[in-house]
Amino acid sequence: MTDAIIQTTGLTKNFKKTRAVDALDLTIGSGELFGLVGPDGAGKTTSLRLLAGLLTLSEGEATVAGYDLRRQSESIKKEIGYMAQQFSLYAELSVLENLQFFAEIYDVPREMIAERTEKLLQFARLTEFKDRRAAHLSGGMQKKLALACTLIHEPKLLLLDEPTTGVDPISRREFWDILTNLHLNGTTIIVSTPYMDEADRCSRVGLIYAGKLVICDTPRQIKKELPGEMVEFLTNEWKAAKTLVEKMPGVLETQTYGEALHLLVDNGEQRLAQISEALTTNGINFRGARVAPVRMEEAFISLIQRLEE
Amino acid sequence: MSLRHIWAITRKEFNHIIRDRSTLILVVLTPLATLLLMAYALTVELQHIPIAVLDYDRSATSRNFVQQIVSGDDLDLYAQVSSIEEIENLLMHGDVKAALVIDPNFSRDLLAMRGMPMQIIIDGTEPESGGFAVNHIASRAEEFANEALSSQMQMMGFSTDSLKPLDLRIRTWYNPGLKPRNDLIPGLISMVLGFPALSVALALAHEREHGTMEQLMATPVGRAELLIGKMIPYIVAGLINVVMLPLLAMAWFDVPFNGSFPLFFGLSAIFMFAVLSMGIIIGVFMKTQAAAMGVSFLMIFFPGFFLTGIFFPIVSMPEIMRLESLGMPGTHYAIIIRGIFLPGVGMEILWPYAVMLILLGFSFTGIASLFFRKKLG
Repeated sequence: MTDAIIQTTGLTKNFKKTRAVDALDLTIGSGELFGLVGPDGAGKTTSLRLLAGLLTLSEGEATVAGYDLRRQSESIKKEIGYMAQQFSLYAELSVLENLQFFAEIYDVPREMIAERTEKLLQFARLTEFKDRRAAHLSGGMQKKLALACTLIHEPKLLLLDEPTTGVDPISRREFWDILTNLHLNGTTIIVSTPYMDEADRCSRVGLIYAGKLVICDTPRQIKKELPGEMVEFLTNEWKAAKTLVEKMPGVLETQTYGEALHLLVDNGEQRLAQISEALTTNGINFRGARVAPVRMEEAFISLIQRLEE
Repeated sequence: MSLRHIWAITRKEFNHIIRDRSTLILVVLTPLATLLLMAYALTVELQHIPIAVLDYDRSATSRNFVQQIVSGDDLDLYAQVSSIEEIENLLMHGDVKAALVIDPNFSRDLLAMRGMPMQIIIDGTEPESGGFAVNHIASRAEEFANEALSSQMQMMGFSTDSLKPLDLRIRTWYNPGLKPRNDLIPGLISMVLGFPALSVALALAHEREHGTMEQLMATPVGRAELLIGKMIPYIVAGLINVVMLPLLAMAWFDVPFNGSFPLFFGLSAIFMFAVLSMGIIIGVFMKTQAAAMGVSFLMIFFPGFFLTGIFFPIVSMPEIMRLESLGMPGTHYAIIIRGIFLPGVGMEILWPYAVMLILLGFSFTGIASLFFRKKLG
């Protein structure tokens, strides 16, 4: 890992009754695309707000972009781009005016504003909408404009709080293509997301649960942590099938995806044969039985389930 | 402090005001409409109150008396009735607001100088009209009795001049006609000019509610830059009203403007600064527009009504209220605006109030930027 752009030790934030972030130790290297995942209310937003200098820390130490978070939070703000979860633009301003406003606020040199906005509009594929009021943009376009606004001063570090929540799948993909491009250009990005396919696109993922960083690793490694293997059956009688297999030896967890039944088992090949046999004996029709690759989603749900027990 | 940041915020806010119709109406038209409405509502002159008369005396004197009472625009004779039941019926239907019952001994007692026996019944559900009728009848009765008396004394050979030892002549300065509007409208202007303060409080709360405040807090914009930039457009909007409202008062209500307009404009600008700082404080502390609205009414408009001396003289207030009224920009501005409108006084008299406004403005802005943190929660 190259030099760390974020380094926190024991970072803690208490609200009146709750400890929203509990002793977070996090090191993020320059150039990483870091995904922050966790159930709602786990502390993702609070963590990002802390890192953006928007909250006073209760305990712990942190440096962000070379500045001390406790004492130099205003200096950090020049270096980072932060996009709040409910980022709302100035609805009465046009796309271009929104960009220009943030250019002024971030002290982008005047002679560079035209060039930067032009570039960002192209980048976010908003050039043809530049005179439209932000209020009249689709949800996906608003998110892209919001991202463009946080990029106007070319920050080294981007903190994005669930930027794609409530956005259609196509816009979501487009948004992530933009993020990947930024990542390739060397920008450090920390993004929180409820979508596991997005977590899969990150270079590293941190799982926050009840304010604590439970696991922090590459997606590949996190999937490996899953105790066992995944087998999949396709069946129309998944209810009966589920009741039957749940009690079989070696089956650790069951999850259903439409007509697919995913089972976490201790030994893939061995259990696949046993379960197939049991299903046939009980007259339950099925097809497509196979040992399936583990997806981020299953790894995540399994982790959370184990944490909740 | 960066002028570039302030200007960026100001320009953005201007665009917001101009493009968002409801804000534009609130900022530019509400003060005007409120002034019109309140000026009419509060200066209604009572006229043509319908009354009923039950005359048990039926003499020439009593008829003459009734004739005098209903002549003019104040009271209208709705009906001559012949029983108390009829009066009750008329009052119940709201056809009359008062009834005059003349005693059978009315003319006899009057001529014998024993008094004027009569009864006035009023509708207590509308005490304004009823009270007006009582006052009117009482004053007419006095005149009537005086006339009857003096004619009788003249007949008896006395000179009536000796009966008037006091020659009282009342002269009202600055507002010779004692027109309530001339005094009320400048006061109302000082109150409705508080509307931009409400707008700025709402504008701050709006940014909080819509999450744009969180975004601004994540930028390098300074706290004072943000507050000042936000305030400027509303000062401008307020100054537009500062020009429009006196024009309306002069053109529509014939209120005289005796002072210097440039002085009025300058002092109004200072008032705008003071009252908007108050709005900023509200916007800094209140998290939602609904709360900002409520508190603005509590802090700006109700005191504007009761503490600034527009309707109730400050000297007749309890000590603590008087102290509180000193902290309201409206108190000082009401004095300034009345002074400039009616007697037309200048800085030599108004300077203490101008100084108070400046002090209040700076302390409010100070408090606001002290408590406004670029932190959430």
